[in-house]
Amino acid sequence: MHRIERLINLIAALLDSPRPMSAEEIRRRIAGYDQPTDEAFRRAFERDKESLRAMGVPIEMMSTDPFSEQMDAYTIPRHRYYLPQLDLEDDEVAALRIASEILLGPGERAGAALLKLSLDAPPSQAGTRLVWGADLAAEQPLLAVLYEAVTQGRVVSFDYTTATGAGARRILEPYRLLHRNGHWYVVGRDRQRDAIRAFRVSRMKPKVTLSDNGFEVPEDFDAAAHLGEAWEIGEDTQPAVVRFELAMRWWAEQNLASSPLREAADGALEVEMPVGNPDALISWVIGFGGAAEIVSPEAVRARLLDHLAPFLEATRA
Amino acid sequence: MSSAAPSALDKRLTRILLLIPYLLKNPGTTTGELAARFGVAEEVVSEDLQLVYVCGLPGYGPGDLIDVSFTGDQVFVDTADYFGAPLRLTAAEALALYAGGQAVLELPGMQEAGALRRALRKLGSALGAGRPESSVEVHLAGGPARHMEVLGRALRDSRRVRMEYFSASRAVLTERTIDPWGLVATLGRWYLVAFDHLSSEERMFRVDRIKGAELLDEAAEVPADFDPSSYREVFRARPEQEVLSFEISAETSGWFIDSYPCRSVTELDDGWFRVELVAGGRAGAAALLLRLGPHVRAVEPDELRHEARTLAAAIAARHRA
Repeated sequence: MHRIERLINLIAALLDSPRPMSAEEIRRRIAGYDQPTDEAFRRAFERDKESLRAMGVPIEMMSTDPFSEQMDAYTIPRHRYYLPQLDLEDDEVAALRIASEILLGPGERAGAALLKLSLDAPPSQAGTRLVWGADLAAEQPLLAVLYEAVTQGRVVSFDYTTATGAGARRILEPYRLLHRNGHWYVVGRDRQRDAIRAFRVSRMKPKVTLSDNGFEVPEDFDAAAHLGEAWEIGEDTQPAVVRFELAMRWWAEQNLASSPLREAADGALEVEMPVGNPDALISWVIGFGGAAEIVSPEAVRARLLDHLAPFLEATRA
Repeated sequence: MSSAAPSALDKRLTRILLLIPYLLKNPGTTTGELAARFGVAEEVVSEDLQLVYVCGLPGYGPGDLIDVSFTGDQVFVDTADYFGAPLRLTAAEALALYAGGQAVLELPGMQEAGALRRALRKLGSALGAGRPESSVEVHLAGGPARHMEVLGRALRDSRRVRMEYFSASRAVLTERTIDPWGLVATLGRWYLVAFDHLSSEERMFRVDRIKGAELLDEAAEVPADFDPSSYREVFRARPEQEVLSFEISAETSGWFIDSYPCRSVTELDDGWFRVELVAGGRAGAAALLLRLGPHVRAVEPDELRHEARTLAAAIAARHRA
C-alpha cells in the first residue's frame, strides 16, 4: 500500500469517527497500519501525524476517559478541518488570484489556497504585470508560525541575535508583522523588558514556540512608530543636517516632510534629522550620489571622507 | 518556504483532498475539466482517482470505500461525505494572500482593490480566531501616488511614458522616454522595469526617484515573453546581467550576506570573504561599494572600480569644501 493511501485512510477515519480513536485502535482498524512490530507502527504513525500537521490537518489529542487527564486518543475536529463556506463572488476570487500571483507567481502554495477558496468559481486567466520581490514573498518558514501567533493572539518565545551579535531568549506578545526596507519584522511587547520591541525575523532562530496565554493589542497600535530609520538607532542621538541639491530637493520635500526643513541660499534644501548611527547616515547619503551632503556635525562629515578614502587614493595613484 | 517546501506527496495529498469535495459538489465533471482546473495532466487526475478508489473507512468493504465511477469521461464520487468541504487554509497560505493583497490595495488605480477588500474581509471572518486583516503591514517607498497611478495606467494600456528621473550615478535629473514593462516591489521600494529610450536598453528605475511622469499617446512595446516573476530577485542573475565580484571584511560579512543575496561566498585565508553577486545596474553597484568603504577590496570588473572612483570623487568634492 502507498503511504498516501494510509494518510487518506487516517484522515477519513478520524474525520468520520464520532469519538476519538486510541493509537491501539488506529493500528487495529485503519488500513495501512499493520506494521509487524509496535516500534515500526509507532514510527509510521508519528511520521504520518507530523506530515499531516505540517499540511494543516488538525490532528488533536484527547482523553477517552472523562475522569482522566491522560491524552490517549486522536481526533480531527470537523469544525477545525473544514473550510467554512465563504460565498466569494467571481470578482473577489479574481482579485485574490491577482494578490497571490503578485506575491508568489502562479506557484503551488498560492495555487492550493486559491483552489480551496474558489472551488465553485470559474477559472480565470487574469494576468498581471506586478510582482513582489522574493524578500517579501513570505519565504521564511518562521513567518507562517509568527503569522499564526499574531492572528491567534498567542505569545511566542524564541532565541534572537541582535545586530551587534548578542543572543538571548525572548518572550514576546506579537502584535503585528511588518515588512520594511526589504525585511520582515515582528513588533510587540517584550515581556521581560515590558516594552514594545521590533525583531527582525531573519535574526530569529528556529524554533519559535507558541504558548496559549493571551494578550490584548492596544487600540490604535502603530507598529511603524517602533521601527526607526537605520541612522536613528544608537546610544547617543545627535542632530545632523543633510543638504539636498536642487536635483534632489523635490525628493526630500516629498519623503522627509516630517523633519525640520530650511531653504538654503542657492535653492538647496537642508534637512535636520536625529542621528544615533553615523555610519548608517553615511551609507544613506552615499546613495544620492553627489546630490546630498552631510553639513553637520563636522565629525560625521569627516568620517564620510575617511570612509571613501580607499576609492579616492586609488584615483590619485 | 524554501526550507519547508511542500514535497511531491504533500502536493498530491493536498490536490486529492480538494479533488474529492469538488467532485462531490460537481458530479459528472470530466477528467479534462479537472485537469485544467487543478493545473495537472489528465493522466495525473486519473491516477489520483484510482488511488481514491481504494481508500475509505475502516471495514474497507463496498459501502466503506470511496465510490468512484465513470460515465464516458465524466467522473462521479460517492460515499465520502466526510470529505464534503476542503481543508482550511494553512497559516502560510493565508499570509500569502494577505501580504500579496497589500500590493493590490496600495497601488492607486488598481481596479481590483474593492473586490479584494471584500474578499479579505470574508476570509478574515471565516478564518475565525483573530484579526488577520490588521496583522500584516507592508511599507514601500513608492513616491507620490500620482506617479504610481500614471505607471499603473501605462502598464494596463501599454502606453509610453515620459519621465524626469534622478540618476544617482551623475547626481542629475534626466528626462527619459520609457516603455514600462512591469512593477516590482522589493527591498522596501517599488522598481519599474522598462525599456529606456535614452540608453537604448532595459533598465530598472526606482519609482521614488521619479520626479515627474506623464502618459504619452504612443503605444509602448512590451516583449511578448516578458515575465515579471523573473525580476523577483533583483540581485539574482538573469542571463543578460553582469556578475560582480569583490572581497569584504569579516566584520562586514555578517550583515552584507544577510542583506544581499550573494551568488557565492568564499572564506579567504585572512578572514575576508570573496562574494559574487548581480546588481540591477553598474551605478547601483558602485554606490554599494562606496557604502562598504574600507571594508571592500579586489573589485571586479575594472569598469565597476572606475565607476566607484568617479562617484566617490563627486561625493568627496561636496564634503571637502
